[in-house]
Amino acid sequence: MKVGRRSAVLLAVVLAAALALVGSRATPAHAGAKAAHLTIWVDNVQKPAIDRITSAWGSRRGVDVNVTFHSFGTIRDDLKTVKAENAPDVIVAAHDWTGDLAANGLVVPLFPKAAIKKQFPKYALSAFSYGGKLYGAPYALENVGLVVNTRLVKVPKTFAQLEREALAFKHKDANNIAIAVPQGSGGDAYHMYPFFSGLGGYVFGHARNGALLPNRIGVANKTFLKNASLIDKWNREGLINSKVDYGTAKNAFLKGNAAFWITGPWETDSLKGAGFPFRIIQMPKIKYRSVPFLGVQGTMVTKYAGTHGVASLAKDLVANEMMKASFQLDLEQANQRFPANMVAGKRVSDPVLKQFGKAGVGGVPMPNIPQMGSVWAELGGAWVKATKGSGATPARAAFTTAARNIAAKIAGG
Amino acid sequence: LITVFSGTVGLVLKIVFLAIVNALSLWAAIVLSDHHKWKAVVVLVVATLLIDAAYLAKRTLPLKFLIPGTVFLLAFQVIPVVYTVNVAFTNYSTGHILSQSEAIAAIKENSLSETDNGASYTMAPARDSSGALVLILQADSGKTFVGTRDGLKPIPKSDVKVNTDLEITSARGYRILQGAELSALDTELSQYKVPVGSDASIQPQGFDSAVVLKPTLRYDAKRDAFVRLKDGVAYANNGLGAYAASSGDELEPGWKTYTGTRNFGRIVHSKLVRGPFLKVFAWTFFFATAVVFLSFAFGLLLAITLNKPGLRLQRLYRSLLIIPYAVPAFLSLLVWQGLLNDDFGVVNRLFHISVPWLFDPWWARVSVILVSMWLTVPYFFLVSLGALQSIPSELVEAAKVDGGGGWQVFRRVTLPLLLVAVAPLMIASFAFNFNNFGNIYLLTGGGPAMGNSPIAGATDILISYTYKIAFAAGKGQDYGLASAIGIIIFFIVATISAISFARTKALENLA
Repeated sequence: MKVGRRSAVLLAVVLAAALALVGSRATPAHAGAKAAHLTIWVDNVQKPAIDRITSAWGSRRGVDVNVTFHSFGTIRDDLKTVKAENAPDVIVAAHDWTGDLAANGLVVPLFPKAAIKKQFPKYALSAFSYGGKLYGAPYALENVGLVVNTRLVKVPKTFAQLEREALAFKHKDANNIAIAVPQGSGGDAYHMYPFFSGLGGYVFGHARNGALLPNRIGVANKTFLKNASLIDKWNREGLINSKVDYGTAKNAFLKGNAAFWITGPWETDSLKGAGFPFRIIQMPKIKYRSVPFLGVQGTMVTKYAGTHGVASLAKDLVANEMMKASFQLDLEQANQRFPANMVAGKRVSDPVLKQFGKAGVGGVPMPNIPQMGSVWAELGGAWVKATKGSGATPARAAFTTAARNIAAKIAGG
Repeated sequence: LITVFSGTVGLVLKIVFLAIVNALSLWAAIVLSDHHKWKAVVVLVVATLLIDAAYLAKRTLPLKFLIPGTVFLLAFQVIPVVYTVNVAFTNYSTGHILSQSEAIAAIKENSLSETDNGASYTMAPARDSSGALVLILQADSGKTFVGTRDGLKPIPKSDVKVNTDLEITSARGYRILQGAELSALDTELSQYKVPVGSDASIQPQGFDSAVVLKPTLRYDAKRDAFVRLKDGVAYANNGLGAYAASSGDELEPGWKTYTGTRNFGRIVHSKLVRGPFLKVFAWTFFFATAVVFLSFAFGLLLAITLNKPGLRLQRLYRSLLIIPYAVPAFLSLLVWQGLLNDDFGVVNRLFHISVPWLFDPWWARVSVILVSMWLTVPYFFLVSLGALQSIPSELVEAAKVDGGGGWQVFRRVTLPLLLVAVAPLMIASFAFNFNNFGNIYLLTGGGPAMGNSPIAGATDILISYTYKIAFAAGKGQDYGLASAIGIIIFFIVATISAISFARTKALENLA
């Protein structure tokens, strides 16, 4: 058969080529004594600082530290699907992942020394706690503040003064915005939270051990509803307007069309480049202290540390080494966020960061339980409905509906 | 071209291609056998041999074309569908991603709690004279102990030296472990327990501290249940991937398991899901239909206009029209969101109007359709232009000679011929817009709120509404429910497409 012969020749050639391509396969490295090996998932901002500090720690502990770049936005979800052999032992995390990751059983509880815990504000630790247990070591705080253009207005001491100044400024020009609060049609509960908390609003109540209770919703609590008519007043007089979205707010403030802007330390560079003097303060008290939402960044030990036989090393790194003031200051330089460790906080020298830090004192960590997913859109939406100018829903009705919807969503997805 | 490829060049290409395939599967087979996945190795080897046979033999011409198609079909259609269907019958969601044994281990670890006095110790692992691992401990009070697996034994404070960093540096009679020697003991240390009575034990946390921990739950393997030690409440396996008390209180984490048709049942029974379903479905259908037909009509109009022979700057117009299609949709959607802002947007300012484009339910629907048209018209313009040019001009001329007016010729000759080519594309575009998550999510996020419905907004289409139910309600993410709704949407789209294609066939027969 002539066909068969040609095929046979071809087959031989193909197989030989295949073998040549595979070539000398590198033998897998399970030979020899295995040095302890610790993998950390880190985003690119913190990577240099974490590289530096962990290599010093690693050589002291005799462990190979593998600091792997992993984009921050994907760390949480990738941890849920990663194969055990590729999984990290330690991750950099935002505190509001705590509930999700702990409920999934992916991170382990930590018990730092009392002496170290004392160096942290209670709210930074509770931000990383779920069900009364600590799951992360906080290293940076992030919050919004009220940024004041001091060339245009005086720094207000009371809310009445802020209201007066802002409205007077707005009336000077048709393009002016009184207080630039980033919202937009979808709403933004994070940026409006100081107003909400200043009127007595809160998201979830908590149990005695500090655990948040998803069935105790404070979005339409009695105190807040009593004060909610103030929102309607602000809407009427144009003090706030939910049609101002993030870009509009930023542009208006940087161009001098707004004297007040609610924003956070991620805008430090644009503030410094704005070319006018400014101050960052906590928004003056309305009925209660107008505290912002706090975002806390930290590190967590995953359940895979145990699988990989490095549980003690991971705990030593996270709950001991990384909570120290020196480490936290090092990271502050890298990521422009206020350190969570109070000893380190006192040593911060950057004036903008210092002012943002002060604006966050007493802040409320964004609830870290997974049920918070049901809250964001409703809370932001209620604010938008109540402050969209003409045709707005009265705040009392908007927030009552929001609270009912949140309860419905949490009850049955 | 075919002659070139059937000659020596073709033979060389074939050999290179097959060699690459064989090399890859050889490499994969070696990796797989390293991991003892024998079934996969067998499948891989058989598949590779079949591919080789098909491309080396002469008589298997059809197979040579079928194999790549089948491989892609399997990889991009069959496997995702099988996976989605599989997930739809599980409870895969936040709190249900581990296996049961992993969940049990995690519950045990999570149940360890600090005792009320919260005693903690400075610690140093050490070896005693017999070489056994022990813990040198110093309580917050300053008292010093040596902890073993049998219990705690006080040792004189003078025997233990502590440096300024509060690290134990030496202890008389014991050798303190350091560096790599210490990290080699990692697992042993993390499981080390110094019993101190009533279930409590001192457990190392890292290498230089230890705390007194006490479990709050006990696992009873015989009953497959956890018992809360404080009050004896039993958390039994509820068959849905969690240990639950009779009060409904569940222990976290749960595990991933098959739950039958429960997710489909939830779609039917949950008021949250069922309530706005018909409204959302109606809007989805209207949205997809409106976008396709309006875009087609508009694109065709432009195509006819610009197809006129002798039009000046024809190329310029054509290129300009393609721009919206060439710019990434994500970008133009966000730009449009800014342009349509009620108070600060360019559109309202330019025309001195104050239309609540994104804040009013009806106007938001108009905005979504308009912006989707902006993105779709260029496509239909291109397609129609091509189709128009392929219609033989004799047909049109013949129709004119027969006395047809402009409109009549278009209606009776041009349009039917055009539709033969364009109708399948319209169906595809319909299916695409039916699931056009990006447009809705980026432009309005489904908002503004529709009445007082907790989930669905005025512009939510089925897929964005599914996203909200599965990922922005309840307790985090619910992949099981999302897959179940996804399957239902698939059947809806498939039915509509099937009917439409059947109609198109009729069209072809006419032509």
